[in-house]
Amino acid sequence: MRKKIALFILLGWVLLIIGDRVDELRVYQGAQMAMYTIALASIVLLTGYSGQVSLGNGAMMAVGGYGAALTLNNLGSPIWFAFLMAVVCAALFGALLGTAAARLSGPYLAGTTLALAVGLPAIANQFKFLGGEPGLLFDVGFPPERFGEEFTQYKWFFWISTFIALIALFMTSNILSSRFGRTWRGIRGHSLAAELCGVHSSRMKILAFTVSSALAGLAGAVLAMNISLVAPGAYALSLSFALVTGAVLAGISSLPGVVFGAFILVAIPEIADALAGRLGDADKLNHYLPGLIVSILLILSVIYAPNGPGENLRKHLRKKPAR
Amino acid sequence: MQKVIETLLIGLSTGSIYALMSIALVLVWRSTRVVNFAQAGQAMLSTYIGFEIASRSEIFWLGLVFAIAAGALVGAGVDYFFMRVLFKHATSGPAAVVAPVIATLGLLGLIRSIVGLTWGGEFRSIKAPASTDGFTVGDGTIPFSTLDVLIIATVSIILIALALLFQRTNLGLALRASAYAPEIAQLAGIRTARTRTIGWSIAGGVGGVAGMLVTSNNFLSPYSLDLLLVFGFIAAVIGGLESMAGSVIGALVLGIGLTFILNYVGTSLVFIGGFSVLILVLLIKPDGIMAKGKARRA
Repeated sequence: MRKKIALFILLGWVLLIIGDRVDELRVYQGAQMAMYTIALASIVLLTGYSGQVSLGNGAMMAVGGYGAALTLNNLGSPIWFAFLMAVVCAALFGALLGTAAARLSGPYLAGTTLALAVGLPAIANQFKFLGGEPGLLFDVGFPPERFGEEFTQYKWFFWISTFIALIALFMTSNILSSRFGRTWRGIRGHSLAAELCGVHSSRMKILAFTVSSALAGLAGAVLAMNISLVAPGAYALSLSFALVTGAVLAGISSLPGVVFGAFILVAIPEIADALAGRLGDADKLNHYLPGLIVSILLILSVIYAPNGPGENLRKHLRKKPAR
Repeated sequence: MQKVIETLLIGLSTGSIYALMSIALVLVWRSTRVVNFAQAGQAMLSTYIGFEIASRSEIFWLGLVFAIAAGALVGAGVDYFFMRVLFKHATSGPAAVVAPVIATLGLLGLIRSIVGLTWGGEFRSIKAPASTDGFTVGDGTIPFSTLDVLIIATVSIILIALALLFQRTNLGLALRASAYAPEIAQLAGIRTARTRTIGWSIAGGVGGVAGMLVTSNNFLSPYSLDLLLVFGFIAAVIGGLESMAGSVIGALVLGIGLTFILNYVGTSLVFIGGFSVLILVLLIKPDGIMAKGKARRA
């Protein structure tokens, strides 16, 4: 435990130093990567550990984002409280949905969550207090003055999101290696056997759904901070797609893998930009190339590395000495 | 009273389109045990092709025929080149259960991007095959139009054709047999893999019709069929995912119910209404309305 804390502090320190050395765009991408890390952790916890498929994590993020924005704008609360409310809102929503979801298996759960991912952002369009299409502003304010004039807004975002991501990862890794993590894996492996061992499987599934939603909500609030607003477009279906892709690339049941998955998700728009520049800079390309890359990656990894590229590598390494 | 009747009629026309989508989902689910989320993409691709033909030839029905053909071809292709490879590879590990669902999602994204790159993202529309002006009743007009009559008629013809295919032909028997007991069907000499591909192509064709009909007086964009997929899925769940008749009933009930919400409450609650129906059905009668006390299979 103490080792783990030391590791995370070291990691944070290294990230801070890196944050000082790179330019503004990279700092922003770092903040986005931190956001994706949290969101992917929520999928790993839910799908990789408890074995429930959720295609609607974008919707959970939207709940968190709107919760945070409403808190910040209407109550004028401190930032940390807005993030806390994001977690609380998403967790409540997740618990409600999880109650229904715990009784669902595979296709039903996937379909229900997909329906949510399609519909929830659209609902935000319809209600005035959610700001409609343009959405709500989400302004965490300038960085504190004592950091000096050099300290930019994006670096402030980077600091906050990295800090939150580190805490979230630390807590998730603890939960996953606790009794709960083991029980979830048991349910995923064989739910009947787990029940015979005295596990209340539907209660544990609801718990997994709730914790996962809370994480997704937190990620949603961090996303809102990074782009300074919450709008239906920010939590579109494509976000849910990207997250599923990232989670599969991360190796769906590996928590350290989420950093790799997040890295890929941040890198894809960059790659698409570079490619679009080569292929002729049409509006179409900018709009659909990232989606194309994401889907091709998703399909290839689901077919050839369904448990993450890490597992293929391990298998490869293990096979060699045997020959 | 008149408003109730016109809402019922419009709901019938909307519901009949949902019925096609839900049948497409049920067909694939029965044969492959996968809810094919790519169905929205397949239908969209077929609709784009149908739109090209319809707008060039200015004959809607020619476009519809091409949309069916394209949908059938794409459906067969997806099964042959994609699902078969997938099932050969993803067989073990924590991701094995979720791999097919996630793969169809990837396919949906792939088709969407390809369509977007080919046709662009702007909204398209074509001239509807029939008048969209409502009929005149007494001294006013109601929103129910000739187009709606045509939609209901087209869907009815397709449903009857499907029912005949499944109940009266050898192919239909083979399709049913390999859906219910693939191994026994194979032992009885049915080439189940090929039958499955045929099932996928029928589903693709039906999806193409749904796409063409739903956009016949509406806009088409790479995203415009997502909601149709969701409502088709809800209808299929009402029917229990297994039963084609159940999913048609589910779709009509859903279409009428949502139209009532639309006309009496407002647009903002349509999706919430549909979603609540989904949750309620799953909580109260997860096997669907056609269940006969049999355990859910997946």
